[in-house]
Amino acid sequence: MDKASSRLKVLALLVALMFVALSTRLWFLQVLATTQFQQDALNNSVRLTYLPPLRGQIYDDQGRLLVGNQSSLEVSIDRSALGSHGEAVIARLARLLHIDVGTLVKSLQDQRYYPFQPIPVAEFVPKDAVFYISEHPDLFPGVQVAQTAVRSYPDGRLAAHVLGYVGLINAQEYDQLKSKGYQQSDVIGRAGVEQVYEKYLRGTQGEQKYIVNSDGETIRKFATIEPTPGDDLHLTIDARIQAAAERELAAGLLRARGQTDSSGRPLQANAGAVVVLDAKTGAVRAMASLPSYDPRWLVRGLTPSESAYLYKSPMAPALNRAMQLGYIPGSTFKPITALVALKEGIASLGGSYPCTSTYTHPGDTSGAIFHNWDASNSYMSLYDAIRVSCDTVFYGFGSQFYFHYVNDQLGSGGELLQADLRQFGFGSPTGVDLPSEASGLVPDAAWAKTRPDLFPDGWVPGGDILTMIGSTYVTASPLQLAQAYGAIANGGHLCRPHVVGEVVAPDGTIAKRPEAHCDRRLPYSPAELSYIRSAMRGVTSSGTAACAFSGFPFSQIAVGGKTGTAERPPYQDTSWFASMAGPNPDAPEYIVVTMVEQGGFGAQVAAPINRDVIQDIYHLAPTGGSGCSSGLSQDR
Amino acid sequence: MDLVAGRIWSDERRPIRHVDWVLLALIAVLTVAGLVVLHSISATTPNEAAFWLIRVVKQGATAGLGLLIVAVIAAFDYRYFKVYAGFIYAGALVALILVKIPGIGATDPSGIAQRWFSIAGVQITPSEITKLCVIVMLAAILSEIRTPEPTLADLVRVLAAALIPLALVFTQPDIGTSIVLAAIVVGMLIVAGTRLKHLLVLTITGMIMIALAFQLGVIKDFQRQRLTAFLDRANVPEDVRYNLDQSLIAVGSGGLFGRGYMKGTQTNLDYVPRQHTDFIFTAAGEQFGFVGAMLLLFLYALILWRAIRIAALAKDPFGTLMAAGIASMFAIQMFVNIGMVIGIMPITGIPLPFMSYGGSSILVSFAAIGMLESIHMRRFT
Repeated sequence: MDKASSRLKVLALLVALMFVALSTRLWFLQVLATTQFQQDALNNSVRLTYLPPLRGQIYDDQGRLLVGNQSSLEVSIDRSALGSHGEAVIARLARLLHIDVGTLVKSLQDQRYYPFQPIPVAEFVPKDAVFYISEHPDLFPGVQVAQTAVRSYPDGRLAAHVLGYVGLINAQEYDQLKSKGYQQSDVIGRAGVEQVYEKYLRGTQGEQKYIVNSDGETIRKFATIEPTPGDDLHLTIDARIQAAAERELAAGLLRARGQTDSSGRPLQANAGAVVVLDAKTGAVRAMASLPSYDPRWLVRGLTPSESAYLYKSPMAPALNRAMQLGYIPGSTFKPITALVALKEGIASLGGSYPCTSTYTHPGDTSGAIFHNWDASNSYMSLYDAIRVSCDTVFYGFGSQFYFHYVNDQLGSGGELLQADLRQFGFGSPTGVDLPSEASGLVPDAAWAKTRPDLFPDGWVPGGDILTMIGSTYVTASPLQLAQAYGAIANGGHLCRPHVVGEVVAPDGTIAKRPEAHCDRRLPYSPAELSYIRSAMRGVTSSGTAACAFSGFPFSQIAVGGKTGTAERPPYQDTSWFASMAGPNPDAPEYIVVTMVEQGGFGAQVAAPINRDVIQDIYHLAPTGGSGCSSGLSQDR
Repeated sequence: MDLVAGRIWSDERRPIRHVDWVLLALIAVLTVAGLVVLHSISATTPNEAAFWLIRVVKQGATAGLGLLIVAVIAAFDYRYFKVYAGFIYAGALVALILVKIPGIGATDPSGIAQRWFSIAGVQITPSEITKLCVIVMLAAILSEIRTPEPTLADLVRVLAAALIPLALVFTQPDIGTSIVLAAIVVGMLIVAGTRLKHLLVLTITGMIMIALAFQLGVIKDFQRQRLTAFLDRANVPEDVRYNLDQSLIAVGSGGLFGRGYMKGTQTNLDYVPRQHTDFIFTAAGEQFGFVGAMLLLFLYALILWRAIRIAALAKDPFGTLMAAGIASMFAIQMFVNIGMVIGIMPITGIPLPFMSYGGSSILVSFAAIGMLESIHMRRFT
């Protein structure tokens, strides 16, 4: 086999040559030229197309759909596929969709999109236009039509301020949120629960992964990850009560405009709000704010006049007046300040106090005189002071608080009134799950220092005296007032108002349960709270709101309330009525607070609205009684 | 010689005492390396994540079955192959003809090639087995030559025996296996002592026939493009150029020491098509770099050294020729496959022995090892 072995050497030589060739080439590729190949590897990239999730839906407490999704045919343009006929295609498309060519070109220059991403240029494209595009692909290279989901509002304007709306993400938001997976074409909650519960409503986007080479050519397609729909919100809002509140508020504003203020001018009644709370839990049953807007405008894109109305007009219809603005609460503050006076021993349940026509702070030589709306000049109980809304009784309490402040100026507990009002939730947001909540203001010595225009001499008796009747400087949102009234109604539990009950995931599990809302206990005795509640029932039966509530079936539904008329020069007075209602007078079920800007006396405009809302809640027959603009009803 | 000594002597020669453990160890290492690379590919590819375990386990199980085949074949005396060479050869031809009959042979998903039988869900590729059958047949013919070197008539007989299956495989079409068969013929003819003049004539004839095949359109367009892609990058279809480009980027970006296990972006992101089968070397090259690639080449070199050593040690010319044919088969498969991946060989469907995913390829490679072991174990009997 010697010969065979020499021939095997030939074979071995050939095999060795193979190894030499492979090794040489590998040396070239992996050692000499590796830098270039590593660069090429970097240039290879994965591109993702995101599949937008269906946004969660919003229901009321009975499961009635408030915000759903509807489909829209969206036309988008893939610039890289437009080819050399781009201008002709755009002109053709503009004609077909009745869009201005300039607008179309402008949307194509959107810097937020990568060159390979199709840019949406039109929504709600009519079906015949879509058919035309798909039947003539040669005329529309790079033009794509896709079905997208947009918001639908089965009840139109109902609860518009609570629900909020969604809008296309803007450049600044996109910069902040892109790390959370937001895309340039995503919508984002802009107001109301749409904004606050964005992370639940949004869902998880799906992905379609492609590999492209450095020329941008798609090379491979990976499996699709389907999007997960967002969580549904189940609100505490009762659509029936919400509709009633909106209806009665609108009707009340209209009625008010036919009436005059104390100086004979017609009432403006340009805006107003109604809040209905569950007295025991703080759940918001209704929250109405007028003027309002139609969220459907935002779905199909605002017209210039709609945009000007919504964002620029002085009517500020986008503002939720129930919680985004603080108003001077007027005499609706008295049940609260009365409780504070009781707590601090300044007033007592058995006490009797002078209700004079004017009041001067003891020892004050500045000449400041505080007036009462009524000149009765008699001694009265706290009950009657609330029932007929006597200011001077409360002025006297205010002086006591001021003395306490003066005596304990350097101590920490001097500002008893302010501390107690803050404990009631005033001066800070309630924490309701709605955006941009107003804090309101509890005026105190520190605040007075920041306003030398109003308080050149620092904190003066007038600060405490006026705060006692909810006048001049103190402000609160209707929601804050409702929260405080809720505590009076439910035995002293300060409940955080909330509009979302449960957040429910697509698989039916609870994504977010309501937290404990009533975790703050106020230090008022049941006797004190009961006394104030009965005084408020006196308001509706024989007090300042007796006229508005004449004929009301109190035997079925007990209503206690308080009128308020807040001076707000140069504007007309803010009209208030805050109440609690329910079959059991000792356990009211609902808190209803009504506020009307430039609405005149509380008993004149706000109280009838409030009464009508309560009647609607309890399916009671209307009792009329709206012409109450004289006598007892003219309180502050 | 006394009886005792004779008994000892005969005991010394028992085949079981002459297993080539080095060869078996090399095969084991290479197979495990293949599984490690296969795992890296499959575990990181998102849309195949569900299959990665199945794939690695299946390949491992196939290798286990392969070891059993090694044991069974090695247990038989390789000289039986010579006795039954005619039957083995005829069986291969029948299989190659049957696979062409519609309804019996299965067509691959592209609908172009008809290459395998599907029996109870298992794919059986006759062209893979044909390689071993041709080796047996040619070894049988060439070992019977009594002249010092094959005469022209011998050559004609050998070529005739080789060309029939080659033509059947070539028209499947399976150019890769055709190249392997041709290389086996050349390798065996060299070892059989064919004169240089004859080899040259044979080579020239072969080249003319290849040129004719191109000219007459026997080689279809899609095949031609693949075959010439490494020479002419400009005029090839996008998918072929892409495949080659990505393959080069993967291997090239590996650098000297590689990008690390499971850290190769080309591998992880599945840039290279067919990277678990024909292009598996790209995953090794990217993750383990030049050093890792050279280690793999070294393993192959050691296996080929053992095969050629077995050819030299064989007791008879039939064993020598069979071992030489097997060495030629492994050498050409390794060379064309890795050469294709790194752009110096045409793109053909040749699997990398012991590494590429695929049942028939693995089993046939193990069967060849079984044959080598049989020859090695019986070199004294």
